Amino acid sequence: MKQFMDVLKNGLSLENPLTVLMIGLCSTLAVSAKFEGSLFMGIAVIFVLVMSNVLISAVRKFTPDEVRIPIFIVIIAAFVTIVDLVLKGYFPSVYSFLGVWIPLIVVNCIVLGRAEAFAYHNGVVLSIADGIGMGVGYTIIIAGLGAFRELFGSGSLVFLGNTLVSFGPAYRGPNILLLFPGAFLLFGFIVAGSRALNRRLTARREAM
Amino acid sequence: MRDNIYIRLGLPVLLVCIVSAAGLAMTYSVTKGPIEAQAREAEQKSLTAVMPDAKTFEKVEDAALLAKATAAAGDVTVDGLFRGLDASGATVGAGLLVGSRGYGGPIRMAVGVDRNGKVVGVTIVSMNETPGLGSKVVSDKTFLPRFTGLGSADEARKVDTITGATKSSRGVRKGVEAALAVFEAVGGVEGVSAK
Repeated sequence: MKQFMDVLKNGLSLENPLTVLMIGLCSTLAVSAKFEGSLFMGIAVIFVLVMSNVLISAVRKFTPDEVRIPIFIVIIAAFVTIVDLVLKGYFPSVYSFLGVWIPLIVVNCIVLGRAEAFAYHNGVVLSIADGIGMGVGYTIIIAGLGAFRELFGSGSLVFLGNTLVSFGPAYRGPNILLLFPGAFLLFGFIVAGSRALNRRLTARREAM
Repeated sequence: MRDNIYIRLGLPVLLVCIVSAAGLAMTYSVTKGPIEAQAREAEQKSLTAVMPDAKTFEKVEDAALLAKATAAAGDVTVDGLFRGLDASGATVGAGLLVGSRGYGGPIRMAVGVDRNGKVVGVTIVSMNETPGLGSKVVSDKTFLPRFTGLGSADEARKVDTITGATKSSRGVRKGVEAALAVFEAVGGVEGVSAK
């Protein structure tokens, strides 16, 4: 159990896929213009990550080393297609916002990276922990980025058709926040912040 | 026994592929209905939005007419040509689904044209414009109504674009121009109502 929690926490902080490992950035920068879309993107990634981690870990003993990558890709692509079909059928507004980024989860480095680096060498239970940790770590950062960019860029925060916060029609946000360079700059600050936090965490762990 | 790499390597991949394909086939058969319903609903909803007078919409299937429509639209795509029918079954106008090029990809929109060849309404079906900038073509509530009442492609061309969303609003304008050109090319309401 302790190991489970440790692996889970790793994904959130010390090995956060975005701020520490720096993988899966392209979708993060592209999708995070809106809070709602980035949240659903995060949920989609959590689902694919957990499911593919479980399956890859379960079949790892029967997977010959030489053909592991094709097997990983087939498993990941199957789950991504399932997410794609479900979103298309039941959440059309989210689907139209995320568009091509859902199919692109197949080549998202986080998913393949965790399959190769973790699920292929660990048991099913720990792989679930890794999937949840990495997925939630991704979601927190992307949803935070999305909330900040939407709120300060366009002046209001909309979730499922309801306006949560609004600065009123007179507010004129800096356009750069809504464009990719804004996401990049903001992401830099988030990385700096999480580095400082991680340094303190590591220091505390070593002191113990 | 001799080690046969085709079986040793190929078999696991084949098995994984078979299982994945079966899982996908199952998901597909479950989601097929809802996906088609969503697409139809979105189509009907946007057509109703641009032509409130019509109760139902019938797709025009006449290949010769559609070829004419495509030719008139130029580089704008014609995704669907509909006749709008009122409760008594009379044609009150034409609904057009067109796709033109915006800043972030195709902008798909519905344009309603009445009996007299005037635009009744324009609405965006789907687009991938920059949120907060290009998306102003939707969020700026004064933009789409600017096309209402216009009767020719030349008139549509004079509509002002939005600051900060120049390319996106030009894309929308191009779509309306094409829709009006198509309406004229297919022979107006008489053209689309002929079965």
